[in-house]
Amino acid sequence: MLKSGNTISYRSNDRDQGPGKKGSNKPLKISPLASGLNRRAFLKQSSAAVLVASIAACKPNIDSSQYESNLESKPPSPSVTSQQFELSDHQKQTIEQVQIKLFPDDGDGPSAKQLNALAYLQWALTDPDNAADGDGEFVVKGIGWLDGLSQQTQGDQFIKLDSQQQDKILSQISQSSAGENWLSLLIYYLIEALTLDPIYGGNPEQIGWQWLKHQPGFPRPTEATTYRNFY
Amino acid sequence: MSTENEFDCCIVGSGAGAGPVAYELSKAGYRVLVLEKGKWYKEQDFKKDEQLYRHNIFRSKLKDERHVLEEPDDDGWSEDTTAQFWGGNIVGGASNFMSGYFHRLKPEDFRLVSTFGKIEGANTVDWPISYEDLEPYYTKAEQVIGISGKIVEHPFLEPRSTPDYPLPPTAEHPIASWFDKTCNDMGLHPLPMARGILSRPFNNRRSCEYSGYCGSYGCASGAKASSRAALLDSAVATGHCEIRTESKAYRLNSDASGKVVSADYYDKEGNSKSVNANIFVVACYSIESARLLLSSPGEKHKNGLGNNHDQVGKNLHCCAGGTGHGIFDFSQFSEQQVEQLMVRGPFFNRALQDWYFIDDKEVFGKRIKGGTIDFVFDPPSPAADANSQKWQGDNLLWGTPLKQKIKSFFTQSKDFKFEVFCDWLTNDDCYVSLDPDEKDKWGTPVARVKVGTHPHDLKVGSYIVEKGKEVMKNLGAKTVTGSAFTSPTSNLVAGGLRFGNDPKTSALDADCRVHGSENCFVTDGSFMPNGGSVTPTFTIYANSFRVADKIKQQIASS
Repeated sequence: MLKSGNTISYRSNDRDQGPGKKGSNKPLKISPLASGLNRRAFLKQSSAAVLVASIAACKPNIDSSQYESNLESKPPSPSVTSQQFELSDHQKQTIEQVQIKLFPDDGDGPSAKQLNALAYLQWALTDPDNAADGDGEFVVKGIGWLDGLSQQTQGDQFIKLDSQQQDKILSQISQSSAGENWLSLLIYYLIEALTLDPIYGGNPEQIGWQWLKHQPGFPRPTEATTYRNFY
Repeated sequence: MSTENEFDCCIVGSGAGAGPVAYELSKAGYRVLVLEKGKWYKEQDFKKDEQLYRHNIFRSKLKDERHVLEEPDDDGWSEDTTAQFWGGNIVGGASNFMSGYFHRLKPEDFRLVSTFGKIEGANTVDWPISYEDLEPYYTKAEQVIGISGKIVEHPFLEPRSTPDYPLPPTAEHPIASWFDKTCNDMGLHPLPMARGILSRPFNNRRSCEYSGYCGSYGCASGAKASSRAALLDSAVATGHCEIRTESKAYRLNSDASGKVVSADYYDKEGNSKSVNANIFVVACYSIESARLLLSSPGEKHKNGLGNNHDQVGKNLHCCAGGTGHGIFDFSQFSEQQVEQLMVRGPFFNRALQDWYFIDDKEVFGKRIKGGTIDFVFDPPSPAADANSQKWQGDNLLWGTPLKQKIKSFFTQSKDFKFEVFCDWLTNDDCYVSLDPDEKDKWGTPVARVKVGTHPHDLKVGSYIVEKGKEVMKNLGAKTVTGSAFTSPTSNLVAGGLRFGNDPKTSALDADCRVHGSENCFVTDGSFMPNGGSVTPTFTIYANSFRVADKIKQQIASS
């Protein structure tokens, strides 16, 4: 049996089929119940007590045009119920800076920013399944832990650090299983922004597909026929 | 939705086992009701969108419905709840998402014990019918649902009453010719694979449009021979067949004679409803059909419908075998060859059955039953593929190393896959029962599935996987991997209600009638005592056409 990585729990025995063998590749974590443990694991190299960032309930709705991110390609507006999910400005800036580390503008292929990865992530976190998985909560908690570690070891928030310091912090958190899961989850959504149909807000003008020489299938989804229209 | 509740025939489920019965009976003018748990999606709903799959849009959700799975592990048996065994919660069932590799079984598959002898620890039996009994229905299935392919002579070709398939093969991938040459040089017999996919328009269905997104994806042209597109649409067009969706059958009620008189189901709103019919057909996937019978005790069926000899749910099988991959590194090939490798759309469609029977006495001591190797390109799933690249050993990659690994996977190599299909020997540790604790969203007990294996399966699977690896190496793959499966193939489950002449060792009679219940039939893959060493869907279709004839005879004579 093939395994796609050591955190993948999906059975790979679906034959006479396709994508099923690889499942969704979402990292195991992350139930809200387990997140307490994750937090301790995340901070295992730190003795600092760090307050967990609160979920966005108290945050104002941010008009996306106020935020400098690529939003030319807007995600679809499904007619079905979406879960409310908002990140604060600080959280957005932090995620965007982490994403650009994970998928940099290195001269070969689109960067996280070119993929609209932040806007895509925010939309994906409103998905009911992803919400039920606790993804948004985990993303937000991870930002708090990241800043806690940054403060403790470098004396400032993650977004205030220079590039080398940020690399060091990311490398440090990846040593814990919760930190690695957090990065893995961000990569999971980043790769969705790279490879899914542009209708979902990432992969603008098929920039990701072109880089990977990927030939999409047809018919492709339209605004009226995204997967969320089936909920 | 109609509120009619009197029918000639009520069918539970709408997949490959249900379609032929609905088609045949409604064409004959009988009033048919199909109770389907899922919704009714059509061609226009099946976009080639990986998200539909990633979010289980057409499959049952774990939170709503699940199975309790017991698997052998180092400490005895592991236990978990799973949604892996759901094939398709939708009109047409899992047949909407099959690849449609349509092999027939071979005459020996119907008499494994007579041909190869008993295997200690296995419950294998000969079938109560022969290949010759089923052959006319394989032919009928080919002609009604429209199977494409080309017969070539080979040592294990099964006898046929027609010279060839009704439709020519689907368009062929350019590297199929590489495969043929390699196999011929090795003294093997490469076979074009018959497909349940139209190569020409047929019965108001469009031909395949070669998007390259086939297995796991619903078919947007109607070319794939799903029960829905190939049979149920025609059945409904007769005006005699109603498909009642979001209707979950949960109990069959039987009278003092043992006959089934009504089916209880939950409608969309969760209200319990009942429907009466003269004939009942159960075809809701192997595990679930056994579960429904076990959930249906009656005066003559104290332990569940047809379960007076404790045979319901027994002798489940999950398709043994294995899989392997050959990675073709583009640096080894010319520009033109790379172009050929990168082509997406046409099918590869090649199989080897040279080891369907293995006569290697040094390894096995005698001639044994082996299996089939299908060679395939996986349907694309770029998000899953790219995500699978993020690990280097146990370490998470990011930054430029991650980008380069993904880019290389997509643009510098081609993953070519083989799949080995062998019998999963039935045994006392592989069966379905009702879980005492776990309930589904309707409050009814879920199926508990125990999947004990027989060590012989692993030996045969490993032997054939090695043959597949040799072919890959000779084809020029730079990296070749492969392994036999030790756990169930969750989309190729069959058995659990095997047919036979003796009620003490079978759940159904030779006509697939539930023992002790003269008007209740089972037509999905549950009836199969063994799966053959191929995907079972074609045989399920053929047998369902056969049972439909038996049902028509029974109605006519009553």
